[in-house]
Amino acid sequence: MRKKFTGVLSVVMGCGLLLGACSDGSSTTKSNEGGSADASGETPGQTLTFLDYSNPSWPYDANWKVWEYIKEKTGVTLDVQVPAGNLLEDALSLTIASGDMPDLMWTQQKATADKFGQQGALVNILDYVDEMPNFKAWMEQHPVETQNVLSYDGKMYVFPNEGLGESNRRTWMYREDVFKELNLAPPKNWDELYDTLKKLKAAYPDSYPLTFRGGLRYFQDFGAGFGVPAPVETNKASFYPDEATGEWKYAAVQDEYKEMLMYFNKFYKEGLIPKDFLTIDTKMWQDIVSTNRAFITLDYIGRIDFYNFALRPDNPDFSMSFMAPPAALDGPQKNVFTATMEEGFMISSKSPKIKDIVKFIDYFYSEDGRKAVSWGKEGETYRGDAFIEKYTDITDLRKKTGLSTDGTYTWFDFDSHISVSSPELQSAYEQAPQYDGEKQSLPAFAPEEQQVLSTKGDSLNSHRDENFAKFIIGTRSFDEWDQFVEEQKKLGYEEILDIYKKASERAKAAVK
Amino acid sequence: MSESTIDPSPSAPPDIGSAAGASGAGASKAALFRVRWNRSKYLFLLFLPALIYYLMFKYVPMFGILISFKDYNPFQGVWDSPWVGLKHYTLFFESPDSMKLVKNTIVLGAYKILFGFPAPVILALLLNEVRIALVKRVVQTISYLPHFISNVVVVGMMALFLSPTGGIVNQAIGWFGHDSINFMQNENYFRSLYILSEIWQHIGWETIIYLAALSAIDPLLYEAATVDGASRWHQLRHVTLPGIVPAIVTLLILNVGHVLDIGFEKVLLMQNPSIYSTADVLSTYVYRTGIQAMNYSYGTAIDLFASLVNLFFIFTANWISRRVSGTSLW
Repeated sequence: MRKKFTGVLSVVMGCGLLLGACSDGSSTTKSNEGGSADASGETPGQTLTFLDYSNPSWPYDANWKVWEYIKEKTGVTLDVQVPAGNLLEDALSLTIASGDMPDLMWTQQKATADKFGQQGALVNILDYVDEMPNFKAWMEQHPVETQNVLSYDGKMYVFPNEGLGESNRRTWMYREDVFKELNLAPPKNWDELYDTLKKLKAAYPDSYPLTFRGGLRYFQDFGAGFGVPAPVETNKASFYPDEATGEWKYAAVQDEYKEMLMYFNKFYKEGLIPKDFLTIDTKMWQDIVSTNRAFITLDYIGRIDFYNFALRPDNPDFSMSFMAPPAALDGPQKNVFTATMEEGFMISSKSPKIKDIVKFIDYFYSEDGRKAVSWGKEGETYRGDAFIEKYTDITDLRKKTGLSTDGTYTWFDFDSHISVSSPELQSAYEQAPQYDGEKQSLPAFAPEEQQVLSTKGDSLNSHRDENFAKFIIGTRSFDEWDQFVEEQKKLGYEEILDIYKKASERAKAAVK
Repeated sequence: MSESTIDPSPSAPPDIGSAAGASGAGASKAALFRVRWNRSKYLFLLFLPALIYYLMFKYVPMFGILISFKDYNPFQGVWDSPWVGLKHYTLFFESPDSMKLVKNTIVLGAYKILFGFPAPVILALLLNEVRIALVKRVVQTISYLPHFISNVVVVGMMALFLSPTGGIVNQAIGWFGHDSINFMQNENYFRSLYILSEIWQHIGWETIIYLAALSAIDPLLYEAATVDGASRWHQLRHVTLPGIVPAIVTLLILNVGHVLDIGFEKVLLMQNPSIYSTADVLSTYVYRTGIQAMNYSYGTAIDLFASLVNLFFIFTANWISRRVSGTSLW
């Protein structure tokens, strides 16, 4: 029951070092593609080994049509290995530590690519740009996406992706039917939000009109209205680039942040948010929303369909709809830009086929490649702007064809997802972009900086989270705000701010 | 312990002695060894899995301690990563959180021994006094069932029962006209909740060993005590308790040696930002900064420090116990 970390760690390492082959045998299950052997006679194609992720909602299937289409277009057969237990990042560490890497690897975090790239395990993609005409043209059209995947010293260890990030978009939502019933309009600013929540609470005393999951995580989204859209996560410090000047700032000590926390303190005291908002998980959140106890929420945009599909059979009026973000302090109505995704291909530096691999990936950056991975094959899966088969939702589409599953895309046409969404969700996709905040360029850090961020940064973050919670619950008075700012200063937010500033300057210089 | 029970007996049976004597002094040692080996080879076979387990999972991993003195880089491997001396240790002790973490860990561990340790002893003594065998067995079974419930489920149950938004406990509190209490988000409740749920989970299971010790007490002692006119209370104090003291002391010393090994899963599951000031312990900190942020060396350094503190505690407890009660581990 007790986890001994030294023990676990060292066993893992011992495994990688002493029994080099162990990672290959036990941590990844090789699954050979069904059709690869018989088809190899016709095409002079290649077989590339590929460590991919298998999402539990749409588990990897070698017979998906998407592998066929990729092979038809590029001549490449992917010999896919799926990590045991679906722990991709763990499997990557083990595989790389063992030195026996597949040609291609999929990652979900850019930090992983940077880390292993700097250790020499991955190809610096920029060294091969001349052999990738499509990718070269793509980079010129997508400077922000390109910059986002660069490491601190201006190298690129993971291919940038664009398009599917749209499914990570988060937004405010509200119960349109309940609002209509009570003659309420969606609030345009936080004062109106407060009034609306109070009216909802009065009509439904058992409810918590504003309910959200994940503790403090969505304060990044709430903060957008106050102009302080910084992440609030245990392993991320709350820094954000100022919308006006582009300069990095520390959110937790800004007056706007205090303003926002004061709103939440008011919400908490009057029962407008659940008393246990810090421990509301996905399950509890779904329970509260689906039993008519929450009328405004903030989450991934696809949840509009999730609730409407599931609840309409019992309650035909149920209608969860897109809500424009409320503004604060006479500011604009803004959401934080979350339509991004860090997933992507990485190439092993030890592969003998690097030139073939870059040619293969280059195809994904062509218009033709984009069409193929987003829609499949003309006449077979789609015609014009619509799929031929009627899929109930995106999961259904993924399970049946493999399109837009991990490791099959980098540049994606999101219209294909929109085409299988409900009219409400389609309208949400249309409205959402007008409230987008700036695309934030994530700065990349050097290993020494990373160490400061994870040690000093951890003290700073846990002190921040603890006090945010106390201010909201009311166990710490806002009279002590200045003291809190002073404490944060002592924990060294200025030093970390400097790291962010330096990192972003370095990134700007690297682009030129 | 396993070694001593299956070690080939040092005193050879008489027939082997005479056989060895007949074949001369030089060959006798080898012959004796062969005879003994033959006799106990199956015992060694039985011992083998335990040996392999300890080598693989307890001794080989010690090699990993090295990385706490290095800047470990998985791609370079343990040997080629650069030495950095005590960098990670100083980093930890200079961190403003280190004192809070060590304090939280020790306080939680001490509470666990203070309240969690006597609980199964008391339950075992109570069960020992129960006359009806059926009642005893039913109580025993029910009390050790929670041991098999996973921590995830236990914490989920706590969150559900104690929730201020419709949890059963807060509903009951509401009937008495009291405001609902936000148990899981109040730093003052964390330790009590943790210890109480620990006791509930493990009390029955930990009772088993005391019940075994109790059954080993000679019934003649009770008869003699009854004849001498001892009441049940006197019997408990002067026969039963002394009978299980060695078991209690041994387990206490072992528990003291684990004072810093707070069950990581449960604390992590119960944790949320508003209770960091009491619920952030070494193991959760190591998880965040060492594993999640991939600072393997830093995490190892903190864990090694915790192991040394544990070692210190176990030595001290053993020394005190040997002085005071004469019972000790070694």
